[in-house]
Amino acid sequence: MNQHLQQAGVRLLNALSRHADLIMQVYLSGTLDESKYSPKVIESLCQLGILWRPESDTQLRLKSAVRNLLEGSLHDERNRQIDANIGSALASLKTLAQHYKEALYHSRYAEADAHLSDLTEHVYALTESLSNSVRVLFSRINNEFGYVASIDAKIRENELAQSQVSELLKQLEMFRFDELSELAGSNRELRHLLVVTLQHSFSKVIQELSIVQARLLELIGRFREFKGRTQLLKGFLLHMEQKPDFSPVNYSQLSQVPMLFNQAAALIKPAAVDVHRIEHEQDLQQLVGAIKAFNRSNTSHQPERAAQKINVEEQSSAQFAEDKLRLAVEAYFCQVIDSGERLTALDYHQQHALEFDPEVWIYQVVGGYQGLTMEEQSYFALDTNGEAHPIYSGNYIIRDVELGLR
Amino acid sequence: MITEQGRILELLLSGAFICQISDEEAWRFLKTSGNSDKIETQLNVLNRTLASAAEGDVFFAAYQSLYDNERKQLGGQFQEISSQLMPLVEWLLLVQQANGSDVPVTQGTAIRLNELQTTIEDTPAFAEQLEKISRNRLFGSTSTQLDGQLKLVFNRLTQLGYVLKPNVEKQIFIATGKVEYLYDVLKFIDETEALSLTEQAENAVQQGSLL
Repeated sequence: MNQHLQQAGVRLLNALSRHADLIMQVYLSGTLDESKYSPKVIESLCQLGILWRPESDTQLRLKSAVRNLLEGSLHDERNRQIDANIGSALASLKTLAQHYKEALYHSRYAEADAHLSDLTEHVYALTESLSNSVRVLFSRINNEFGYVASIDAKIRENELAQSQVSELLKQLEMFRFDELSELAGSNRELRHLLVVTLQHSFSKVIQELSIVQARLLELIGRFREFKGRTQLLKGFLLHMEQKPDFSPVNYSQLSQVPMLFNQAAALIKPAAVDVHRIEHEQDLQQLVGAIKAFNRSNTSHQPERAAQKINVEEQSSAQFAEDKLRLAVEAYFCQVIDSGERLTALDYHQQHALEFDPEVWIYQVVGGYQGLTMEEQSYFALDTNGEAHPIYSGNYIIRDVELGLR
Repeated sequence: MITEQGRILELLLSGAFICQISDEEAWRFLKTSGNSDKIETQLNVLNRTLASAAEGDVFFAAYQSLYDNERKQLGGQFQEISSQLMPLVEWLLLVQQANGSDVPVTQGTAIRLNELQTTIEDTPAFAEQLEKISRNRLFGSTSTQLDGQLKLVFNRLTQLGYVLKPNVEKQIFIATGKVEYLYDVLKFIDETEALSLTEQAENAVQQGSLL
C-alpha cells in the first residue's frame, strides 16, 4: 500500500515538473488555452487531478489545491483567501489526542505512534495556516492594495480584509487552553503539542492581528480622506459649471475674519550690507565684484567718463631742488665750453662751493652728459677717474669724472 | 550669525508658508510649543500672529488685530485667492487623473514632469484640459506647444509656492503644504456657503455624469 502511494506521488510530481510551463500559464491566465497543448497531455493532467473542468462547457482550470500551493510558495499577493476554519481543526485535534491516549492506555504502542505523528502533522498544519493568513494580510497592506487601481476598490479591499481579520479573531476565540491542557493531562508529548506549540503560535497571531487591524484602520482613514478630497475637487468643478458666476462672500469683511483668510502682507524687504562690519566683508566683496562686471558692460553710458576740461597748473615748488642741480650741471658744461679746458666735476664742485652732496653731483653730471643728444654728446668727452675694485674683478669704482671738449 | 529663530521670523514676516516640504527645520521648530510661543511674542510687536492651517501642516503670519488698512489688504488677497481657485482645482484634478493612481495631490506628492507630459500627450482630453488651464489669467500662456504650456504652468506654481523644485537639473516637482492650505480653503467655502460639494460629486457619479 505504502509503495503504491509513493509511486503515485512521484508520478504526480513528475507530471507537475514536466508540464510546468502549462501549469504556470493556467495559473497566470486563469484558464487553459486547449489549442496550444496536445489533448493527450491535457487528458493525463485531468486524470491526475491537476486540471479540472468546473462545468461541461467551460474551459479547464487549475485545481484549487495546486493553486494554493503556488500562491503559498510564491507569496502571491493576489491570494486573498484566508482559511479561518479553526473550529473543525481544533475538533480533529481533540479527537486524535483521545485516540492516542486510548491506544496508550491499552498499550498499543505502534498504533499510538501513528496517532501521535498524525496529531503532530495537524498541529503544525494549523499553526502554519494561521501564520500564513497573517502573512497574506500583511502583504496586502504593505503595498496598500496596489493590485487595484481606484480608491473605491481599495476601500472595498480594505473592508474585506477587515472582515477577514474579525472573522479570524472570532475563530481564535475557540481556542480553549484549559480544555486542551486537561486533555493533554500529564503526557509530555501531548502537552508540548497541544499547549506549548499552539499557545506560542496563538499569542503570536493575536499580536500580529492587532497590528494588522490598526494598520487597516489607518489605511482606510487615508483612503477615505483621498476620496473626500477628490470629491471636493470634482464637486467644486461641477458647481462652477452649473453656476459660473458663483463667488464666495468676501470673508475679510466679516467681524471675525477666519484665520485661513487672514494672511499678513510681507513686511520685510531685503537688508543691505553694512560697510562698517567686518563680518560682511565677504558679501561686500562679492557685491563689488558684481558692480565691476556691470560697469564693464555699460562703459558707453557713463557721463563721468566723457571728455572734461582739465586745468593745468604749474607745479613749481616741487621741482625746485632738482632744477637747481640741473642748472648747476648746465653751468658746468658751459664753463667747459667757454674755457675750452678739461675740468673734473669735483674740482668744479669745490671751485663754486656747491652745496650738493659730491656723489649726487657726480651722478647728475653723468646723467646730464647722457641726457644730451648724440650730436651734442660728440662735442664732449667724459673720462672717469677711479680704480678697479681690489677684490671683485669687473667692478670699477668711479671717484671723479672729467669733462673736456673733443 | 542669524539664529534659527531669527531666520524663521524673517521667513514669516516675508509672507512665506512654512511646511515640512518647503523648510523642514523651520517647520519642526514651530511645531515645538515653547519655540512657537517665542516667535508669537516677537510677531505680536508687529501686529502679527502665528497662524496655522491644515491641522498644523502649514504655518504663516496673520494679522493680530484688524483695522481699515489690514481689511483692505485682506480683501484684495481674498479676491486673488478666490479667482485662483478654479484653475488650481482644475490643475489638481488634471495631475491626479494623469497620474493613473487616482490618488489626489497632497503635500509631498512628487510630480515627474516628463511622465506627466507623456500621459497628457497621449490623451487628447488631458491635452485640451491643460490648454484651458494654461490660458487662464493665472498662468497666461500664449504658447500653442504642450511642452511650453506645461513648463509655464509649473513655473508659475513654483512662484506661487504650491510646488517646489528640489533639484534645478531635474524636472521633478514636489507639492508643498500650500496645497493642503488650498484644500482647507475649499472645505471652508464648501461649509460656509453650504454648497455640499461632496454630495454633488457623488450624485453626479451615480447619475453617470461624465466626470
